Formats: sequence, C-alpha cells, structure tokens
Amino acid sequence: MSNSIVRAKAQGVAGCHICGQVVALHKKSHAVCPRCGCDVHYRKHDSINRAWALLISAFIMYIPANTEPMMYTTSFGEQGSDTIMSGVMYFLSHGDWPLALVIFSASVLLPLLKMMAIAYILIMVQMGATHRKIENTRLYAIAELMGKWSMVDIFVVALLTALVQLGALTTIEPGPAGLAFAAMVILTMFSAMAFDPKLIWDQTEE
Amino acid sequence: MLITDKPHGLFVCHECDALQNISGIKPGNVASCVCCGSTLFKNPKGGLERPLALLIASAIMFLVANVYPVMTINIAGIVQSATLTDSAMIFIQLGNPELAAAVWIPSVLLPGSIIFGLLYVLLSIRFSMGLPYTKPILVLVSRFLPFGMMDVFFLGVLVALVKLVALADVLLGAGFYAFIALILCYAAATASYEPHILWERLERKPRRQKEAVS
Repeated sequence: MSNSIVRAKAQGVAGCHICGQVVALHKKSHAVCPRCGCDVHYRKHDSINRAWALLISAFIMYIPANTEPMMYTTSFGEQGSDTIMSGVMYFLSHGDWPLALVIFSASVLLPLLKMMAIAYILIMVQMGATHRKIENTRLYAIAELMGKWSMVDIFVVALLTALVQLGALTTIEPGPAGLAFAAMVILTMFSAMAFDPKLIWDQTEE
Repeated sequence: MLITDKPHGLFVCHECDALQNISGIKPGNVASCVCCGSTLFKNPKGGLERPLALLIASAIMFLVANVYPVMTINIAGIVQSATLTDSAMIFIQLGNPELAAAVWIPSVLLPGSIIFGLLYVLLSIRFSMGLPYTKPILVLVSRFLPFGMMDVFFLGVLVALVKLVALADVLLGAGFYAFIALILCYAAATASYEPHILWERLERKPRRQKEAVS
C-alpha cells in the first residue's frame, strides 16, 4: 500500500486490545492501560510459538475427534455407535443432503480449513513474506470468526443424550470423540487468538 | 469517511497496527482502516437506546429459554423433556463433567454473563447512575464475547430436531420459541453497540466514582 501509512509501533504507541485506548509505550514492551487496566503491548507475547503449539495440539485432537465414536445408541438391547462421518452418511442415506452438508462442513471441513489457514499464515509470517498482506489479514479474520461453528455436533449430542434416556427402550450416551472435539475447537480458537495479525504487516519495516 | 462533527481521536488498527485519526463518524456509518480495510469504529443508529432495549429483551428471553424446556419427546408413551441446562447436566450424571462444562459454559454461562453484564454497564451509562465495577465488567464482556456460542447451539437444536423427528413425536416447548427470539435480540444487541463509545462515556465521569470510593 502507500507509504503514507504510519504504524503505531514506529511512533512508540500501541492500541489497547480491550478498550482501544492509544497508549504511549516508548521503549517498554508493555504497559497497563490507563482506561481499562488491561495489559497493552506492541505485539502479543511469543505469538508465533504459542500459536504453533496450540495449533499442533488442536490437530492431534482432530484425529480422535473424527475416528472415535461421537455417541453410543442402545436400542432394545442392541448397541450401535456413531462417528461424525457415519452421522453424515446417515443423513445422506435418508436424502437429507442439506443437513449432511451442514454437519460435514461444520465438523470435518471447517476445522481442517481453519487449521490450514492458520498454519499458512504462520508460515508466511515466518518466511517474511511481503506480498498479499490484505488477503492474509482477511483470511485470518475469517478463520477467527468461523471456528466456533465446529461445536455444533457436540451440542447435538448433548441434546440427544438429554432427551433420549428412555430406559430399556433407547438410550444415547456420549462417546470419547466429544471431549476430543471440544478440545480441538477450543485449542484452534486459542491458537487464532494467540497469533497477532500485526506480524503480517511488520515485514517491510524490518 | 472523515467528516467531522464529534472528535473520536486516535485509533490503532487491531489487524495491521496502522495509526490513524478518526473523527465525526455519523450515526449509521462505519470507519474502515485506510490500510487493511478492517472495521475500526462504527457509530450505530439508535445511540444507547437501541442496544439497551435489545438487551432487556434478550435478558427476558434468556430467562424464559433457560427455564422452559426446548423440546419434549414422546416415544411409545414415555415422555422426556430437556431445557438448555439439562442438556449439559446429563453429562455430569453420566460421569463426564468436562463435557458438561464444554457445553454449558459457551451456551449458557458466557452468553448470560454478556447479556446481564452489558445491560448493567449500559444502564449505568444511559441513566448516569455511576454504578460500581462498570469497567471490569465491560472488560470481561469483551473477553467473553468470542466464546459465546448460542447461535451455534441453536443450529445444534435444529439438527437434533431433525434426528429426533425420525424416531419420536417431538413437541417444541416455550424454551424453543424463546430461544429463537433470544438469538435474534442477542445478535442485534451485540451488533448495535460500539465498545469505544461505551469506554468514552465511562471515562467521562470518573471523578464522581472516585469521590464515592474515598
């Protein structure tokens, strides 16, 4: 972009993440915001390492989340188990393709795309890429926003479990994938938050 | 974009760190970053009244949605109903408290804290009440906001509904309709307030609060 843009860091100031107050930091790396009392810093502390660590943990959790059963159904003494994909197949075989699409994209595709997006941005920053800054910033913003929708399948299992407790007739119980799934979603959200998008824009100045 | 009638001062873009001076954004307009285009500041129409009204509606709907069952099912004469909290508490009964927390915190605890916290802060500002702890509450609301997942939970309700209709008679409860109203009011409320304006208003009368303390 044009050269007339002034970066806050170059002026010795930083914006508070919570209240937006512009705080003069000068040589210090962080200070306490005079308005809201939160920590203000030029860049998030150890951003890239923390983002990678959380992202890798999330990816490890993604595997059991998709291979282990999400729920167990006991119907008239007969036991069955459902993974995410078998749930998607169930909807497809009943001709419910819009629902199959919702579950597949929210639970399988979206987390994978989000993790790939964060990994891509992290690699770009670490390589010192100076191009496509606006696109990468948007990609980061989208990745940050869409992460929470992956929780939908856990809420489905929660509702089904609470409702279908009919003794000998039918019961539904959660499987080990539930916790792995929740951990995966929360870890990717923390990973996105640990990353500082300002690092994308730091490249030319150094 | 930068026509002045009320100064708002210096802004640092959260995405790209560009420092810029923004002033006089008219109601209904949004200021975007000159460098990366992300939203810096919005001045929603309706001032403080609109988010306040929407938050009062959200608070009422939140209580209704949490007290009454979302749905009731009937399989061969056996009837079972569940509220929002029931769907988390079942996991505690089944010996899985971590999963109960993963469901209950983002769908009930955080949205509830956001609604009532923001309502408290807005009431304090709008009626110049100078209530205590408004600043830490507004900090918490900002920190909780990305983790509120009521809208995701509602999608879960719809998916569960389709699954259950195949195997039982399903009756939608008052909680279900209150939940729809809650999601709409909550989304509109969180979109119609600008934290920068609240922080500015909170800062305007710190003297009175300090006197009250000392």
